[in-house]
Amino acid sequence: MTGRFRVLALLLTAATLQATLFDEVRVDGVAVEYLLLVAVLAGHHGGPERGAVVAFFAGLLHDSVGVSPLGLHALAFAPVAVVVGHLSVRLAAGARGLAALGLLAAIAAGVAAATAIGTVFGLHPVDGSTLLGTALVAALMTGTVALPTSRIVRWAVTGGLPVDVAVDREPARGPRATAAGRVGRR
Amino acid sequence: MAAPGGGRSRPTLLILVAAALTLLTMQYRGVEPLAAFQRGVRDVVEPLRSATDRVASPFRSAWNGLLDYDEVVAENERLADELARLRGRRLTAEADAELLERLLGEVGIDVGGRRSVVVRILGTPPGNFATHTIEVDKGSDDGLAEGMPVVTAAGLVGRLETVDRSRSTVRLATHPEFRVGVRLVGSQDEGLARGGGRTGFLVVDAGIRLDAEVEAGEVVVTSGGRSLFPPDVPVGRVLDPDDDAEFERAVVVEPAASLENLSFLNVLLMADEPTTGDPSGLRGG
Repeated sequence: MTGRFRVLALLLTAATLQATLFDEVRVDGVAVEYLLLVAVLAGHHGGPERGAVVAFFAGLLHDSVGVSPLGLHALAFAPVAVVVGHLSVRLAAGARGLAALGLLAAIAAGVAAATAIGTVFGLHPVDGSTLLGTALVAALMTGTVALPTSRIVRWAVTGGLPVDVAVDREPARGPRATAAGRVGRR
Repeated sequence: MAAPGGGRSRPTLLILVAAALTLLTMQYRGVEPLAAFQRGVRDVVEPLRSATDRVASPFRSAWNGLLDYDEVVAENERLADELARLRGRRLTAEADAELLERLLGEVGIDVGGRRSVVVRILGTPPGNFATHTIEVDKGSDDGLAEGMPVVTAAGLVGRLETVDRSRSTVRLATHPEFRVGVRLVGSQDEGLARGGGRTGFLVVDAGIRLDAEVEAGEVVVTSGGRSLFPPDVPVGRVLDPDDDAEFERAVVVEPAASLENLSFLNVLLMADEPTTGDPSGLRGG
């Protein structure tokens, strides 16, 4: 199975789960943000660029199975995935606790970003306290399914292969590691 | 752990953001293929959602019963009281109905003359911020179309926002973006009401004269005319007439239909009238 088909299968499965199973399981009216979780994990495992692309399509699917305008969640998810991708390689290497906290923060930020954009477009009439509560509950609920999903997303976006590594050559100093801090060849 | 690629992520992100904004703009301009695409995706997922609903229903009921036992008991007592009161009123109501029909016939108001479709509430649409919006179990296959008024026997509930083949979403009258032309039955003043959001009320903040005599408890109905809603559908009762207003008057209306405990609704079929257009519910403003 090629990488694109893996990602396609992942996104379609995630969208179906989001609209069915996870829509049924609500705590205080708040549901798991599964497509956002996939977007964040794609940034974490696949890096900012790949994460942004996966997150964009995850957002489009979120808009398609829901009732928000097409593009709204894509606009929110892609930047979140890019930020997660950058932070993952710089801060959370090897620190599981920090990665878990970062994941929850990223989910909450994604929910808040989607709501803020929705508010700009007159869609989400929510106040600050409701938004904060919903973002926190959504992050905690989504965190409960993060571990198994993380493995699947890693398989989908990296294909089980070692992660890509790039070299930016600088004649004066020789090879320089990219933002990941690792040296190698793409 | 993340792969690098940070150097290319900025242009990629810019392209994706531009694409998302383009899609949003096209959607707001009413580009039909995008809406059709969304409807198509939802129609494909709908059988799975219905199956999940059926499977999850007993578990959901058990869960709700466990968590909300006290509320269920209180609700049961409230319903028993209400049933007793309604039985007592029944004979009076029959006589009143006959009188009402005769009076309304004299002023030319058609009572119950519209065809309607009964729909069942399924819950909230997918997502965490679809506030003041609910999902119902019928769609275009049952003759529903966007913009149709949604009512109960008590009065106006909202209007259909999106209509798929076998599901639709209803924008409730309390949604801040909801607009409806209304008439105060006592003063005969007409104005534009909007949803009050979390307050659960409607606010008539346009059209009511500062010197109009509005009383608390006064009945508010739809005004009809250029509105997409038929005339004389009960909207609610005046809660605060805002008598002290100096520049702009904002009359607060308590909705007649209880929007909190709904199970079934009626969608009025507006076959003879256009049902699309201005989302505010007014034709031409």
